[in-house]
Amino acid sequence: MVIMAADRQAVSLGLGPGMKLADARARVPDLLAFDHQPLADADLLSRLAEACERYTPMVAIEPPYALILDITGAAHLHGNEERLAQDAEDRLDAAGYSSQWALAGTADAALALARHGLKEGAEAQLPVAALAMDEKTHQSLERAGLYKIGDLAERPRANLAARFGMELTVRLDRILGLEDRPIDPLRRIGNVVTERRFAEPLTHIDAALACLSELFAEASERLNERGQGARMIRMMLFRCDGDVARLGLETGAPTRDAALFKRLLRERIEALNDELNPGFGYDLIRLSIVASDVLAPQQLRLEGGEDRQGDEVALVSQLSTRLGRDRVQKFAPADSHIPEQGLLALPALNAPPPVPWQRLSPDNPPMRPLHMFDPPQRVQVIAEVPDGPPYRFTWRRKSHQVIRYEGPERIASEWWQRKDGQQPGKGGLTRDYYRVEDARGRRYWLFRHGLYGEEKANPDWYVHGLFA
Amino acid sequence: MNNIDSDSDGAFGLPPDTPYAVPPATPAKPSVLRARLARILATSGVRTAEDDGTPSHFSFGVDRIDTALRGNAGVDGLPRAALHELHAASKDDRTSTAAMALLMAQRCQILGQDGRPILWISESGEARRQGRLYPPGLAELGIDPDSIIHVDAPDSIAALRAAADGVRSSAMAAVIIELAGKKPKGLDMTATRRLSLSAQKSGVLSLVLRSGSDPENPLPTAAFSRWSVAAAPSLALEANAPGHSAFDITLLRHRSGLYGLSARLEWNRDQQIFREQPENKGAPDTGAVPALAAVRADHPGTRAA
Repeated sequence: MVIMAADRQAVSLGLGPGMKLADARARVPDLLAFDHQPLADADLLSRLAEACERYTPMVAIEPPYALILDITGAAHLHGNEERLAQDAEDRLDAAGYSSQWALAGTADAALALARHGLKEGAEAQLPVAALAMDEKTHQSLERAGLYKIGDLAERPRANLAARFGMELTVRLDRILGLEDRPIDPLRRIGNVVTERRFAEPLTHIDAALACLSELFAEASERLNERGQGARMIRMMLFRCDGDVARLGLETGAPTRDAALFKRLLRERIEALNDELNPGFGYDLIRLSIVASDVLAPQQLRLEGGEDRQGDEVALVSQLSTRLGRDRVQKFAPADSHIPEQGLLALPALNAPPPVPWQRLSPDNPPMRPLHMFDPPQRVQVIAEVPDGPPYRFTWRRKSHQVIRYEGPERIASEWWQRKDGQQPGKGGLTRDYYRVEDARGRRYWLFRHGLYGEEKANPDWYVHGLFA
Repeated sequence: MNNIDSDSDGAFGLPPDTPYAVPPATPAKPSVLRARLARILATSGVRTAEDDGTPSHFSFGVDRIDTALRGNAGVDGLPRAALHELHAASKDDRTSTAAMALLMAQRCQILGQDGRPILWISESGEARRQGRLYPPGLAELGIDPDSIIHVDAPDSIAALRAAADGVRSSAMAAVIIELAGKKPKGLDMTATRRLSLSAQKSGVLSLVLRSGSDPENPLPTAAFSRWSVAAAPSLALEANAPGHSAFDITLLRHRSGLYGLSARLEWNRDQQIFREQPENKGAPDTGAVPALAAVRADHPGTRAA
C-alpha cells in the first residue's frame, strides 16, 4: 500500500506521496491512514470547480488536484488579478481546503508554477520535473547538467529536440508562455451572460426568481439587438458557502418573451426533485443564453389577432419543461419496412419539419393498426400448415374465431443488417401478416413468425396490433 | 312604408338589415332574432366561435344522427366548444373508442378547415400494456400523423393537468385525453367542470376517453354528452376480407336530455365522413365457420338485426 497524499504535519515529519505505508508506519507509529477514493475526489474537485465559476465561466479541471481558471477580462470586479486569486484562496480556506495558486499568461505555465509553489514570473526557477515527462528524461536532463527550466530556455531548440524529442520542446514552450493551448471548460459558454452580485446575500427564493426575471429581460434586450431569441437558458445560483444550484430551460422556438420565461421557470422549479435551498443566501446569480436562434423583431399584431404559432410553442415548451422533453412527442416516419421500426417519436421541442407519410390507395380499408404492441404478444393459433391463414386463435385466455381475413402480407427481415445475413438460414425470420376479424367484430393484426419448414419447424404466432 | 309593426321593413325607411332597426311590437321568429344578435355581435367586436368561420358544431355526416342531436341548439351535430366523454363498451373496445375520438376530432378539423394540431394525452403504463398509438395506423384512417402532439403522461393527475393547459390555450384544435380504470385519480366533477368551462371559453373540442370503466355506472362528470363505443363487424370486401372500420355508438347522456340514440357507423376515409352501415345480411362464406349470430346478446344497446 502506497501513500497517495499526506497532510502538512505528515510532510513535516518526512512522509510524502509515493512512500510505502509500512515504511511510514515504522517511522510514525500512530499514523492515521484512510482509503484513497479517486471517484469521490474527482466529484469533490468538480464541485469546487463549479463554485469557482463565480469568477469566470472558463474553469477547467486538471486532475487530480488542480483547477485552471481563465480570468482574462474578469479580474476588474475584484480590482486586480491578485485580489481575485486571493479571494479564491480565502474562500477555499474558509471551507477547509489549503490551496496554492499562481498567475501566468498561459494555462501550463500557471499550472507548473502553482504545483511547485512559485509565483508569477518565476518560470525560470522551475525544476525540470515541471515538464512532467517520464523519469528517464528527467534523469538524463539532470545528468546533462540541466536542473532548471531557465537552463533549458537558453539552449537552442533544435539540439534539445534531437536529443530528447519534439515533445520536450513543445512542453517547454508552453511553460515559458511562448505557446498556449486552449483549456477545456466545464460548461459551454453562453452567447449572452448576465449576472448580479449581492453584497447582502438573498435568502428568499422569490427574490432570487425576481432577479432571474430581470436578468432574462436584460439578456432579451441584447438578443433583440442581434435579432435572435433564446432556445436554451442556463441559470446558476451561487450560495455564499460555495454550493451552486443549476437550473436549465429549453423552449421549442426562439423566444424573448418575459411572460413565457416566468411560466417556464415556475414549471421548472415545481418539477425539481430537491427543493431550492438558499442556505445563508445567494450572493451571485447568473443567467446565460446557451443556445439561440434567429428571431425577427416582433411583428405588431393587427386587430388583436392571436399568435397561434407562438401559443403552440409556448404550450409545448411548458409541457416539456414540466414532464420532460421526451414525454411530449411528434411522430416522424423512419426508413424501414419493419413495422415497429417504421416510425420515430421525437421530442416536440426539436421536431424536424413534417415529412409526408406514405401515400394511400383510395377505397382501401386500413392496412395498418391504430394500436401496436411493443413487443408483439404471443398467441396460440390453429392454422393449416404450411401457410394457411389463422382459423382460430387464443389470446389472453380468450378464444377468437376468425370470420374474415386478408393476407398474407409478407414482410421479410432486414437480412442485410445481420452478420452473414445473405446466407440461407441466417437472414432472420420472415413474417406473414394477416388482417383478421373475429366473430365479435374486432379486427387484429396477426403474424406468423418464420416460414413453416424453411425457416422454423414450428413457427410462433403473434398479435402485433389492433385495428379500429 | 314606415310601418313599425312590420318585420320586413325597418324604421325610418332604413333597410331591414340595419342593426339599429327598431324591434317590432309582435314577437319575432327565433331565426330572425338570432340573425339580429349575430349582426349586433359582429359590429360590437365581441368574438364568438362563429366569427372566424369555424362552425360551432360538428356532425358525423349521418343525417339521422345529426338531426337527432339538434336538440335546442338548432344546429345539427355536437357542439365543439364542449367536453364530451367516450366510454369503451368493454376492455377490448379500447382501440375502437380511441379511433372514434380521433375521427370526431378529424371531423371537427375538416368542417372548420382548422389547421391546428390535436393534443393526444395518454398514460404511459396503459400504453405499454394495451398498445400504443401507431402513426401509420393514423394515416390509414385518414388522419395526418403530423397533426398529433402526443403527451406521454406518467399518471392520470399529470395527464389531467396537461389537458387543462391544452384546453386553455388557443393553439390546439382538439384535446383528447385517455384515462384507464374504473376510478382514475383526479377525475371528478370539479376537474371535468373546469375542463368543460375552459372548452366553452376557448372553443377547443375536448374528449375524454374512458377505457376499463363500467358504462352502466360511470363516474359522474360535467360532460356535455356521454357515448359508449364498441367495435362492430365490418362489411366484407371481396374474398371475404375485413372491410372498413365500423363502430357501434350509443348515446348514454346528453345535456338536452336525449337518450338511447344508437347507430352502427362506418368510416369512409377518402371522403372523411361517417355513413350508417346498411344491414349486414347473409353469413360469411368461409366453409366450416358457423353463421354469425345476428344479435350480440351480451352487448347493451345493440340494434336487433
